[in-house]
Amino acid sequence: MYDKIMALYPSLTQQDFLTVITLQNDSDGKGDYIAKWEHPTLAKPTEDELK
Amino acid sequence: MGNLVLNGATSGATTITPTDAVTVTTTFPSLGGTVMVSGNMPAFSAYGSGTQTISNGVYTKVAFNTKLFDTNTNYDATTNYRFTPTVAGYYQVNGTCYFGTVTTGLGIILIYKNGSYYSLNGTSLTATNQAYLTVSGLVYCNGSTDYIEIYVYQNSGTTVSIGSQNNSQQFSGVLVRSA
Repeated sequence: MYDKIMALYPSLTQQDFLTVITLQNDSDGKGDYIAKWEHPTLAKPTEDELK
Repeated sequence: MGNLVLNGATSGATTITPTDAVTVTTTFPSLGGTVMVSGNMPAFSAYGSGTQTISNGVYTKVAFNTKLFDTNTNYDATTNYRFTPTVAGYYQVNGTCYFGTVTTGLGIILIYKNGSYYSLNGTSLTATNQAYLTVSGLVYCNGSTDYIEIYVYQNSGTTVSIGSQNNSQQFSGVLVRSA
């Protein structure tokens, strides 16, 4: 998921993923998901964009 | 064994003062309270058997799926990998994770309480700094719904597998003071 988001928004930095964006995996078999998206200018990707 | 019956008020605390002690007293909580003894203070320890994949840039719950001990059956090692103590109080919580194969980026280990991070510890990962990440904290749990988990994070740029040694991948907790 990290790679897909970076492909959508190359301007994102690793720091963004430590502050305004949280990707999470709860080890429940459902995979990675966006737990938090608080980026001030970039819109949260849609499910279709992440496929 | 016989019973010790103390007649008196039905509220407030009961204090026992040994006759040969000058300042030492033993105080029990008020009616309805719980006296904490070793037999009812939850303690557990678990580790992850088998390797687990940690994706780059993703906070991932560590699946500590093998119990070393669990005195009060409060740790779920099969589904949610979480500690849900049934006694209210303050718990010393510890987590350890080994990122031995990672040589770049940042490694973080976190205590999560009720699905949100509570405390964390992290370090830069280098070839000469193979990281044993550890985190600890004193966490209040209400004895019913509060639960604790351990997550890790790494941004080395690639997927990482964490190992299965019980001396390097541990999650433990113990009640240190009742509510």
